[in-house]
Amino acid sequence: MREITLSKAVNEAIAEEMRRDEKIFLLGEDVAEAGTPFKILSGLVEEFGTDRIIDTPIAEPGFMGIAVGAAMTGSRPIVDLMFGDFLFLVMDQLCNQAAKTHYMSGGKMSAPLVLRTNLGATRRSAAQHSQSLHALVAHIPGLKVAMPSSAYEAKGLMKTAIRDNNPVVIFEDKLMYNDKAPVPEEEYLIPFGVANIKREGSDITLIATSSMVQVAEKAAEMLMADGISAEVIDPRTIVPLDEDTLLKSVKKTSRAMVIDEGHQSYGITGEIASRLTEKAFYHLDAPVVRMGAMDVPVPFSPALEDITVPTPERVADMARKLCSGEMIHAA
Amino acid sequence: MPHDVIMPALGMAQDTGLIVSWLKQQGDAVKTGDALMEVETDKAVMEVEALADGFLVDVRAAAGDNVPVGQVIAVIAKTADATVATSKETTPEVTADQLAQVSDGQSIIMPALGMAQDTGLIVAWHKKPGDSVLADDVLLEVETDKSTMEVPAGHDGYIAALLAEAGQDVPVGDVIAVISADKPEAPVQRKAASSKANTAPVAKAIVPKTSTPAKAAPPPVPASGGKILASPKARRLALEQGLDLSRLEASGHPQPYHVSDLAVLRALPMVATGAQQIHMTDQQICAVVPTSGSVDFLAQMLDEGGIAIAATTLWSSFAAAALRDATQTDASVIVELSSLSGPVIFLADPDHARLSKQPETIEDAAPTLALRDISSSSITSMRLNTRNVPTLTIGSDGNSYKISLDFTAAQLSETEAIGLITGFAARMDDPLHHLL
Repeated sequence: MREITLSKAVNEAIAEEMRRDEKIFLLGEDVAEAGTPFKILSGLVEEFGTDRIIDTPIAEPGFMGIAVGAAMTGSRPIVDLMFGDFLFLVMDQLCNQAAKTHYMSGGKMSAPLVLRTNLGATRRSAAQHSQSLHALVAHIPGLKVAMPSSAYEAKGLMKTAIRDNNPVVIFEDKLMYNDKAPVPEEEYLIPFGVANIKREGSDITLIATSSMVQVAEKAAEMLMADGISAEVIDPRTIVPLDEDTLLKSVKKTSRAMVIDEGHQSYGITGEIASRLTEKAFYHLDAPVVRMGAMDVPVPFSPALEDITVPTPERVADMARKLCSGEMIHAA
Repeated sequence: MPHDVIMPALGMAQDTGLIVSWLKQQGDAVKTGDALMEVETDKAVMEVEALADGFLVDVRAAAGDNVPVGQVIAVIAKTADATVATSKETTPEVTADQLAQVSDGQSIIMPALGMAQDTGLIVAWHKKPGDSVLADDVLLEVETDKSTMEVPAGHDGYIAALLAEAGQDVPVGDVIAVISADKPEAPVQRKAASSKANTAPVAKAIVPKTSTPAKAAPPPVPASGGKILASPKARRLALEQGLDLSRLEASGHPQPYHVSDLAVLRALPMVATGAQQIHMTDQQICAVVPTSGSVDFLAQMLDEGGIAIAATTLWSSFAAAALRDATQTDASVIVELSSLSGPVIFLADPDHARLSKQPETIEDAAPTLALRDISSSSITSMRLNTRNVPTLTIGSDGNSYKISLDFTAAQLSETEAIGLITGFAARMDDPLHHLL
């Protein structure tokens, strides 16, 4: 199978959907001629013109509001938010308007829009361009949240998101845009709420999102050398969450870690760990451990930045402790 | 008199049952033993049978409903159009006043330990008001028409109230205790006399200094009086397999305990301490073997030899042989064979009989050993009143046989008992090896 970059996969997904449905248009900063700072959308404006690939001023609340209004009145906008950190600017439009349209109109209206943005640290972009804020929107009922972990997921989840009749937020990891993965030529969609078991194992379940899936897979390789068999699961969408697959795995392995690049406190690692503890309590032989990013503004210093996010070594270390029955927090 | 159909407790750790489907409809005539509905628990889907003749009326739960254990879900009445006064609350609002006195807590109800059980007799409380409890701690012993069982607390916390006394026969579903998260300031113990008078406020803290229950059953004394650190899974498996984690603690094995430590616990010799001695006048040893040994052997005999042997015939033979080995006796061994349904039969020296022959039963014999087959039921272990013979109970979860041996020191020494159960388990595991 051919291999393409995550960036190309996103580009293909949007182009294919825009050819299929004329109601779809895309707007954001530097999306047309520039094709975004990461060159993800290059070529789209040439094919679809400036009526459907719209460059906006630097005014996130404004163009997000335009998108919500357009979605409520029959269009299917895709909003390009250059950095996930700018989510704070569009919270009212996204969370108070788009997320609630379907509910507050008793189902008579909907807001079929996609907000595509990114997450991920270690790009030396400092505290205001390095955050992973998916937990912020996952908390709001009415928003679906997808987190592709490779080019294959990026394309399949984007197409599903565009066809969804309610708002979806997709977070791509900005460090993975040039990572290649096998992606079929023919059309495919990845349904929401279906986790992907990336690697089967019997001793511990590593649940990881986005780029942390690679981290977990590397940790699993390291653990194999110690005779520990780790199962790696990518939920792919955190809202909806494929709880069944996670619970089934944890009941099998009796141990679990949840790895994510959002800040550890009050994040999705805590949410998933809590669900596992509630629903698989009597199957657990060790505490369910969260591993998120350190609870600090992401440092600019490369030396400091690198230690704020989970690494394969740290994941493997913790997994070894859990599997050996070591008490990780003395009572 | 109309008969209430309640959601039975099909497993020990079960709080609710999911009604998969009704096999009888509102107004249908039903006979005792008819399957009424299918109920799914965390383990299996089972059919629940009618316990009275009549007509199914007043169906209160639909397929798909998840119903708390003990709750009435229908009524079997004399006539199809009977209307039943629904005022009768089966989950009584016991003592709103009283419960208000104790801090918010988890209500513990009299569990339905059997299918045909309306009430349970509280033999003994193992905890006093104000005591701290862990979910797995034995809270009380309940006697039903069949047996006495230990009921775990089910929640961590403190005993905020005991609402029934030892010796009291309590309807299934009635609240008998309250467990609170925080240590209660004024824990409540209700006397039997006041139990019917809901309005009578219970004086604060009628905590008898010696709340030793009527029937002597002292609480198990933890070796250090402390809390045992163990993973939830290790605790669950220990409970299911009848293993006592406090023995591991007493042996000095380092905590916290995980599933892997249970192997150490299984290997510990059964040495009763003074305190345990009293508790364990009924002593019990448990073993687990895969079902495949016995099942495959019987299938092989049928396929290759055309010989149909009942599993119980094989087991009786093994039990007798194992007892003979363990006690080194040449005397006759009479096995009393029983199951949850069907007659009790007595077999003389089944280990000397040919397996291919229909076993010869004798009547009115004094058994040397009792063998109870509960492998086709959902029960995986049970602890009965003291029998006058050592009793081997064989339960099954589909993959393995859970064998337990109940005995008293007068019947078997510990060495003999261990010899008996290990010999029996070894034969179950590899029948051919022992028959040849």
